[in-house]
Amino acid sequence: MQSSAALEYDYSVAKLYMWTAVIFGIVGMTIGVLIASQLAFPELNYLFGEYGTFSRLRPLHTNVVIYGFTVSGIFATFYYSAQRVLKVSMGESKLLNGLGYLQFILYLIAATGMVISELMGITASKEYAQMEWPLDVLIVVIWVLWGVIMFGLIGMRREKALYISMWYYIACFLGVAMLYLFNNMEVPTIFFSGGVGAWYHSVSMYAGTNDALVQWWWGHNAVAFVFTVPIIAIIYYFLPKESGQAVYSYKLSLLSFWGLMFVYLWAGGHHLLWSTVPDWMQTMGSVFSVVLILPSWGSAINMLLTMKGEWNQLTENPLIKFMVLASTFYMLSTLEGPIQAVKSVNAIAHFTDWIPGHVHDGVLGWVAFMIFAALMHMATRAFKREIYSKSLLEAQFWIQTTGVVLYFTSMWIAGITQGMMWRAVDEYGNLMYSFIDTVSVLHPYYTIRAIGGLLYLIGMFMFAYNFLMTATAGRKLEQEPQFRSPMA
Amino acid sequence: MFHWLEKNPFLFSVGVFIVIAFAGLVEILPNFAEASRPIKGLKPYTVLQLAGKEVYKKDNCIACHSQLIRPFKSETDRYGKYSLSGEYAYDRPFLWGSKRTGPDLHRVGNYRTPDWHANHMWDPKSVVPDSIMPAYKHQFKNVADMKTAYAEAVTVKKVFNTPYGDEIQPGKAAFEKYYKTIALPEALKIAKAMKNKDVLAMVQQGKIPEIVALVAYLERLK
Amino acid sequence: MNSFIVKGLVLAGVLIVATLVVIKQMHIDLSDPINLITFLGAIAIAVLTFGVGAKYMAQMKTDTAGGELAEENWDGIGEYKNELPAGWAWSFFGTMVWAVWYFLWGYPLNAYSQIGEYNKEVKAYNAKFEKKFEAAAKDPATLRDMGESIFLVQCAPCHGETGDGLSGKAQDFEQRMSKKQVLAVLKSGQHQLMYPLGAMPAGLASGQQAEEVAAYIAGGMKGKAPAAWATCAGCHGQDGTGNGGTAPNLKTYDETLVTHVLKHGKTGIIGHMPAFPGRFTPIQEKALAAYLQTLKQ
Ligand code: HEC
Ligand code: HEC
Ligand code: HEC
Ligand code: HEM
Ligand code: HEM
Ligand SMILES: [Ca+2]
Ligand SMILES: [Ca+2]
Ligand SMILES: [Cu+2]
Repeated sequence: MQSSAALEYDYSVAKLYMWTAVIFGIVGMTIGVLIASQLAFPELNYLFGEYGTFSRLRPLHTNVVIYGFTVSGIFATFYYSAQRVLKVSMGESKLLNGLGYLQFILYLIAATGMVISELMGITASKEYAQMEWPLDVLIVVIWVLWGVIMFGLIGMRREKALYISMWYYIACFLGVAMLYLFNNMEVPTIFFSGGVGAWYHSVSMYAGTNDALVQWWWGHNAVAFVFTVPIIAIIYYFLPKESGQAVYSYKLSLLSFWGLMFVYLWAGGHHLLWSTVPDWMQTMGSVFSVVLILPSWGSAINMLLTMKGEWNQLTENPLIKFMVLASTFYMLSTLEGPIQAVKSVNAIAHFTDWIPGHVHDGVLGWVAFMIFAALMHMATRAFKREIYSKSLLEAQFWIQTTGVVLYFTSMWIAGITQGMMWRAVDEYGNLMYSFIDTVSVLHPYYTIRAIGGLLYLIGMFMFAYNFLMTATAGRKLEQEPQFRSPMA
Repeated sequence: MFHWLEKNPFLFSVGVFIVIAFAGLVEILPNFAEASRPIKGLKPYTVLQLAGKEVYKKDNCIACHSQLIRPFKSETDRYGKYSLSGEYAYDRPFLWGSKRTGPDLHRVGNYRTPDWHANHMWDPKSVVPDSIMPAYKHQFKNVADMKTAYAEAVTVKKVFNTPYGDEIQPGKAAFEKYYKTIALPEALKIAKAMKNKDVLAMVQQGKIPEIVALVAYLERLK
Repeated sequence: MNSFIVKGLVLAGVLIVATLVVIKQMHIDLSDPINLITFLGAIAIAVLTFGVGAKYMAQMKTDTAGGELAEENWDGIGEYKNELPAGWAWSFFGTMVWAVWYFLWGYPLNAYSQIGEYNKEVKAYNAKFEKKFEAAAKDPATLRDMGESIFLVQCAPCHGETGDGLSGKAQDFEQRMSKKQVLAVLKSGQHQLMYPLGAMPAGLASGQQAEEVAAYIAGGMKGKAPAAWATCAGCHGQDGTGNGGTAPNLKTYDETLVTHVLKHGKTGIIGHMPAFPGRFTPIQEKALAAYLQTLKQ
C-alpha cells in the first residue's frame, strides 16, 4: 500500500457533475411539488398552457430526477471515488480526462434535448424510456464513454483488488447498457415512409404483451441499476469514509452483491401481475421478489453494523444521519416492494398511490439522501473547504425527514384505501363506489403529500445554498481531512 | 474467498454480465412468438386512429390511465371483459400504464360517445363535477400530425407485416391520396358525432384537429 | 436497546391503526381474502422494518465494533472478516429453498391459471349473491337503492349524478320524454329498440295533432287524451304503458324499456346512448328501472 498523500486526485469532471446534480435536483423536485399539487388542486394545470398539464410534466419530473439528478450524482461520485479506491488520478491520463469532459458535454446536450422533447410531447411513452431514438443514440455514446473511462482507470489502477463500490459501478455500467439497448429497439419511421412524417419518430420493435415484457424487464431493472446498485456503491464508499469505520463484513458484502445481481433480473414480472403475460412468468416475478429481500437487506445491515457503537457520530454528524436513515429507508422500500409483489397484495396495490408511495420511500429516503451526503462529503475535498453550515445541514435533515414521512404515510393510506374501494361491493354485490368517489376521497392525502413534498423541496433549496456557499465561501482547508468532513 | 475474482476485473465483469443476462434469456425469449398473435378479426389501426394514439402519447394520458382490465369480478363489472393478449397485437408501444389516477380505458369505446368525449376533453368538470383530470382545450386547435401517423402505418406494414391494404404506400403522393379519400371522410364522421361547430368547420376545411384523431382512437378501444 | 424497538413498533402501530381507521370509514370488508392479505402485508412491512431498523440503531448505542481486519485497505477504508449475521443468512437460505420448492413443486402441482381463478371468483360471487338478489327483487325500496348504486357507477358520467342529463347532454330522467323528442319520433319514425311490434312508423301524426299528443306525453299523460292519441293507443296501449311490453312505455321508465335500451342502445335527437349488452343481470336492470322511475318529479 502506498501512501495516498503521494497522489493528487483530479476532481474537475466530478465537480461538473456535482453542480448538475444540484441544479437538476432543484428543477426535478420543483416539478415534483407542482405535479403533486396539481392532483390536489387541478386548477394548477393551467399555468403554462398545454405545457403545464400534469400529464406532460409527470415524465419531465421522473426524467429530470432520474437522468438529471440521480445520474449526475452517480457520475459525480464515480469520478470522485473511483480514483481514490483504485488509487489512480484522472490527471494521470490526458486522454481519460478529456473523454470525461466530452462525456459531460454530451450529457448536457442529451439532458437539454430530453427536457425540450418532453415538454413538446415528443415521447415514446414508455415509462422511464420516453426518449426518442436520436437521444437514444446520444445516450449510448455517453454510456460507452463512461465504460471506456471506467475500464481505463481500472487498467491503470494501483490497488490490486477492486473495492466493493467498484463492483457496483461495474454492474451499473453493464446492466444499464444491456437493458437500455434491448428496450429501445425501435424503428425510425422516416426511413420507410418515403419522406413522410417527423424525422425523430419511431415505432417499437415489440408489440403488446411482448413490449410490456421487455419494458418492465427494463423498468424494474432501471430501478435496480440506477436507484439501487450505484447508490449502494455510494454508501459503501462514503459511509465508511466519513465515519472512519471499517466495513462490518466482507462475506456479507460478497453474498449481498452476487445475490442481488442474480435475483434482481428475475423480479421484473412483478410489474405485470394479473396482466396478459403468462402465469409462470408472473409467479417467477413474485417468487424472486420475495427472495430479493435478503440480498437487499444485506447491504443495508452491513452498513448499519459498520456504525455499531458509533452513536456519538450519529448524533454529532448530520452526514452520518443522512446515511444511516438512508439505509433504513432502503430497508423499508426493499421490504415493501416484495410484499407488493405478492399476487394478492398486488391486486390491491397495483395502479394505486401506494406504488408512488413505495417509489418515494426509495428515491427520497434512500437515493436523494445518499446523494446529498456524498455531495457534501466530496465538496470538502474537491473544493478544499469546510462545509459552510452544519446547522443548516442539520435543519435540512429534519425538514426532509418530516417530508418523506408525510409523503409515504399519506400515499400508503391513500393507495390501500383506493385499491380496496375499487373492489368494494355493497351487500347485494354491486360495486359500492363510482370511480370518481375513489378519486374524491384522496383529496386530503394528495394535499398532505404536496405539503410533504414542499418540505422536501425546501430542504433541497437549503442544501443547494449550503453547497454553493461551501464551494465558494467555506473556510479554506490546509489539509485534506482523513475521515470526518469538517463543518462550521 | 472470492478475492481472486476481485483482482481480475475482466473476469469479474464477464461474471456479472452472465449472471444478469441469464434471466432475460429464460424469461423473455420463450414467449415471443406466442404473445404477438392477434385475436381473430382484429384490424390494424386506421391512420386517423394512429394519429389519435400519437395524441394520447403526446399528452401522455398514460400518466393517469391504464389500458389493462385485470381478471377480477370488480374490474370486469366496472370496465367489461378482462383484457386478452391478442387484443394488443398491433400496439406499438403497449399502453397498459402503471397508475390509475383515472379509470381504465381499454374498453372505453363501448360505453362513451364522441360528443361525451368532446365535452369531457374540453372541460372534464362539465360532466364529472369532481374530476381532477386536466382540460385539454389545445387539442381542439392543434392540427393532428397525420403524416407521422401515416409514416407509422407504412413502417409497420413493411417491417412487421401488419396487414394493411394497398392504400398504405410510401411517398408523399400516396399520403395525399389517402388523406383525401380515406382519412378526411373518417374524420368528418367523428366530427359530426362530436357536435362541436368549430371542430366540424375545421374538418370541413380539410384540417383534422387533434381531438378528432384522439376520439377516433378512444372509440376504437373496445 | 429496548426503548428503541418499542419506539419503532409504536410508529408501526400508529401507521397501521391510521390505515385501519380510514378503510373502516369506507366500509371496507376485511374478510375479503385479498383485502385481508394486503392488510397483513402492510402490517408485516411496518413492523419488520421499524422493528429491525430500531434493533440496529440500538446496537449503535450499546455495542462496539470489532473483529479481524482484512489486510486490504482502500483510501483508508478497512474491512472486517466478520461472519454473516446468522438471522440474515438463515433467512436468505430459507427463502431460496422455498423459492426452489415453490417453483419446482408447489406451483406446477397446483396447475394454476389466473383465468381459472377468475372463473372461480365469479362462481363464488354468484353463489353468494344469488339469494340476496332474489330477495332484493321483491322489495321495491331495496331495488331502488340497488339501482341507484349501479346508476352512480355506470350511468352518472353521462346522465349526471342526479339523472338530470347534464343540461341536455343526455336523457333527463326527470321527464320520460320531452315534447321535442316525441315530435322528432313522430316525424322520422324510429326502429332501434327492437320491441315485438317492430318499427314505429313515421308520420302517424303531424301539425296540430302532433303538437297535442307530444304535449300530452311530455306532460306525463295526465288529464284527457287528445283525439290523436287513439292512433297511438293501438300500439302503446290506452294508458300509454306499452301494451304489455309490445311497444315502449311512454309514461314511465319501466323494466322492459330499460332492458331494451341497455341491450340495443339508442340514438335520438339528444345524442347517442351506447348499448350495455350483457353487462347487467336481469335483476340489476330491474333495479335500474326502479331507480329511474323515482327520478321523475
Ligand atoms: C391528472 C390525471 C389525468 C390525466 C392526465 C388524464 N385523465 Fe382522463 N380521467 C382522470 C380522472 C380522475 C377521470 C375520472 C373522472 C372523469 O371522468 O373526469 C378521468 C376520466 C377519463 C375518461 C372517462 C373514462 C370513463 O370511464 O369515464 C376518459 C375517456 C379519459 N379520462 C381520457 C383521457 C385522455 C384521452 C387523457 C389524455 C389526453 C386523459 N384522460 C388524461 C384523470 C386524468
Ligand atoms: C305500429 C305500432 C305503433 C303505433 C301506431 C305507434 N307507435 Fe310509437 N312506437 C312503436 C314501437 C314499436 C316503438 C319502438 C321503436 C324502436 O324500436 O325504437 C315506438 C316508439 C315510440 C316512441 C319513442 C320511445 C323511446 O323511448 O324511444 C315514441 C315517443 C312514440 N313511439 C310515440 C308514439 C305516438 C305519439 C304515436 C301516435 C301518434 C305512436 N307512437 C304510435 C309502435 C307504434
Ligand atoms: C355515453 C353516455 C351515456 C351513458 C354511459 C349512459 N347513457 Fe343513457 N342515454 C344517453 C343519451 C345521449 C341518451 C339520449 C338518447 C336520445 O337522444 O334519445 C340516453 C338515453 C337513455 C334512456 C332513455 C331512452 C328513451 O327511450 O328515452 C335510458 C332509459 C337510459 N339512457 C338509461 C341509461 C342507463 C340505465 C345507463 C347506465 C347503465 C345509461 N343510460 C348510460 C347517454 C348515455
Ligand atoms: C427488493 C426490492 C424491491 C422490490 C421487490 C420491489 C417491488 C416493486 C413492486 C411490486 C412494484 C409495483 C409494481 C406495480 O404493481 O405497479 C414496484 C414499483 C416501483 N419500485 Fe420497487 N421494489 C423494490 C425496491 C425498490 C427500490 C429500492 C426502489 C427505488 C429506490 C424502487 C422503485 C420503484 C419504482 C420507481 C416503481 C414504480 C414503477 C412504475 O412506474 O410502475 N423499488 N416495486
Ligand atoms: C420534492 C420531492 C418530490 C415530490 C413532491 C414528488 C412527487 C411526485 C409525484 C406527484 C409523482 C406522480 C405520482 C402519481 O402519478 O400519482 C411522482 C412520480 C415519481 N417520482 Fe417523484 N417527487 C419528488 C421527488 C422525487 C425524486 C427525488 C425522485 C428520484 C430520485 C422521484 C422519482 C419519481 C418516480 C420514479 C416517479 C414515478 C413513479 C411511478 O410511476 O410509479 N421523485 N413524484
Ligand atoms: Ca427510446
Ligand atoms: Ca409508473
Ligand atoms: Cu420492480
